Amino acid sequence: MSKSTIRYSGRTRARAIKTFLGQFLGYGGAQLGLLCLVFFLVTAAMPNILVGPLQTAINATGDFLAPPSGQHLLGTDEVGRDVLNLVVHGARISLTIALLATVISLVVGTTVGMTAGYFGRWVDVWLMRLTDFFFVMPSFVLALVITPVVLEVMGRGREILGFRPSLFVILVVIGMTSWAFVARVVRSQTLSLKERTFVDRARVAGSSNFSIMVRHILPNLVPQIAANGALVVAGAIYVETSLSFLGLGDPLQPSWGTLLSLAQRAGAASAGAWWYLGAPGVCVLTVSLSFVLIGNALDDTFNPRRRVIP
Amino acid sequence: MLDAADILRLESLQVHFPIQGGLFDRVLGRPAGAVRAVDRIDLNVGRGEIVALVGESGSGKTTVGRLITKLAQPTGGKLLFEGRDMTFVQDLSALRPYRHRVQMIFQDAYQALNPRHTVFDIVAEPLRSLRLVDNRTQLTDRVSEALASAGLNPPDDFFSRFPHELSGGQRQRVVIAGALAVKPELIVADEPVSMLDVSIRAQILQVLVDLRDKHNVALLFITHDLPLAWLIADRIAVLYLGKLVEIGSADEITFNPRHPYTVALRNATPQIGANAGRAELPALQGEVPSAARVPNGCRFHPRCPLAFDRCRQEEPPPIEVGPQHMSACWLAK
Ligand SMILES: Nc1ncnc2c1ncn2[C@@H]1O[C@H](COP(=O)(O)OP(=O)(O)OP(=O)(O)O)[C@@H](O)[C@H]1O
Ligand code: SF4
Ligand SMILES: [Mg+2]
Repeated sequence: MSKSTIRYSGRTRARAIKTFLGQFLGYGGAQLGLLCLVFFLVTAAMPNILVGPLQTAINATGDFLAPPSGQHLLGTDEVGRDVLNLVVHGARISLTIALLATVISLVVGTTVGMTAGYFGRWVDVWLMRLTDFFFVMPSFVLALVITPVVLEVMGRGREILGFRPSLFVILVVIGMTSWAFVARVVRSQTLSLKERTFVDRARVAGSSNFSIMVRHILPNLVPQIAANGALVVAGAIYVETSLSFLGLGDPLQPSWGTLLSLAQRAGAASAGAWWYLGAPGVCVLTVSLSFVLIGNALDDTFNPRRRVIP
Repeated sequence: MLDAADILRLESLQVHFPIQGGLFDRVLGRPAGAVRAVDRIDLNVGRGEIVALVGESGSGKTTVGRLITKLAQPTGGKLLFEGRDMTFVQDLSALRPYRHRVQMIFQDAYQALNPRHTVFDIVAEPLRSLRLVDNRTQLTDRVSEALASAGLNPPDDFFSRFPHELSGGQRQRVVIAGALAVKPELIVADEPVSMLDVSIRAQILQVLVDLRDKHNVALLFITHDLPLAWLIADRIAVLYLGKLVEIGSADEITFNPRHPYTVALRNATPQIGANAGRAELPALQGEVPSAARVPNGCRFHPRCPLAFDRCRQEEPPPIEVGPQHMSACWLAK
């Protein structure tokens, strides 16, 4: 290929990306969401630099349930640990679990949804039955079923991919329960994409079903997957929080949900320790809200027709 | 009609799409019926021949094209390519040699191009999928060659463009280039110029005629436009409600039509209708009936000004009315 080709290609792609970013960032929600997200991602990336190593009951520095002060900006918990320290370390756990679970759910959901929609007939029927099964499956029940299995297989003290077993369970459970939503969205989009003439053209060109799915359908699903992926992250953060709050988290790798659970058990609400409950609570709300804002802005950017609706 | 040189032969080929009946029909066991989109068609295309398939909207032209290109499965009859039975071949490995030799040009070029692929990838796709090239240099050469034959010059200027960066005529040329790239022996062209400006039509038609003249490619040219069919084709086949009602040489069909439907079609086009005995028949009346409810007897009888009793009961068979000229009408004899 000649030089002109490469120049052209680069220019076209750059222009497309620029247009997209221009529209996307035109939404106030997208700006706010991105700002919050960057803040939390930076926090989660370097907790040790920002607040020092994770405090435990042994190296705790403060009084018990002390209100916010110059020394402890967000107060302390019932054993004297700095709440800011816990929340910053919790950000890393919560965000990692949510993002990894989202990756699982997007990969599984896209594969299942695209296969069902593309092949139709009995493949569709059975895959969608499976999807519906996982769609209505309560994550808490699934967690209760899986936890003993994972503990049995992996052993209690071991780590899997850097996660302690209970966090690994949470990761798997969120992945398993949220892919069904993605699969439904992807399937319905695939149903309309496979009727498009360019798929017929690919078939006349002798392309295999696999190649048609990967080269023709998948690229056209990206907008849907991206917009819904952001919503799946928001959901994953909530589910992670609630599972941990119900006691399925790991006290040695505390997420925001675990902190809420500890606070609740320490009687933070009745003791008036609003900072202990409030700090992780506000974090959960802010982060999931930012993902929802980003998801909606992505959806609006990719779907120009929806913008007309006030 | 059966010529050893035929590249493609359809023998009573038919496709009936089942109609999904309502709940009531299913409970009562009532048959829901079928859309008889293509009903027992006999047609042959010779090597390097241009055959036009003419008919109104909904007559089943596209469906015939999709049957030939194996995008739809027939429910009966035979599809023979160079004498080999391809009717029910579905397996990709068995189909690839066929795809190498039979290509399609689509009506709506914008829909036929994946908006996320570059022109190069679009034209290269059949060459890659059918494994017709060994290396990148060969691929680039074949893509350039195809783009140039389709009239996109200089080819490299188009390699990395996306469909939305092209004009309508250029898009149709890209679709044509994709079909040419594999050097097929038969191309099904489904209304290739109907979406284009008049000024561009002639150029695109020239590309197609050149293909036949230079490379002896056979063409099934689908159109609803009788004068256009006459202009480009050697023979014309007229389709009405999924049935071929008249076949003959382009001149015969245009200037000596023997089926009342063809006569009506011709009268509806002022260019040729004017000087060819317009008073013979009144213009066509009424709508084309739905292919889900094909009339009994001759399917044209509800609209035919010459219909008589027999037409309502018995379906007329194809009748020879001249050399290589067939008409399915009781009055044809
Ligand atoms: N997949 C399908 N299922 C059911 N009916 C179909 C299907 N495809 C086509 N038909 C019906 O078959 C008939 C012929 O359709 P077709 O698209 O072949 O017509 P056409 O001659 O190409 O029309 P046009 O000029 O509008 O393109 C129509 O009545 C159409 O509704
Ligand atoms: S058979 Fe009868 S109804 Fe049919 S076209 Fe001929 S005259 Fe008309
Ligand atoms: Mg059509």
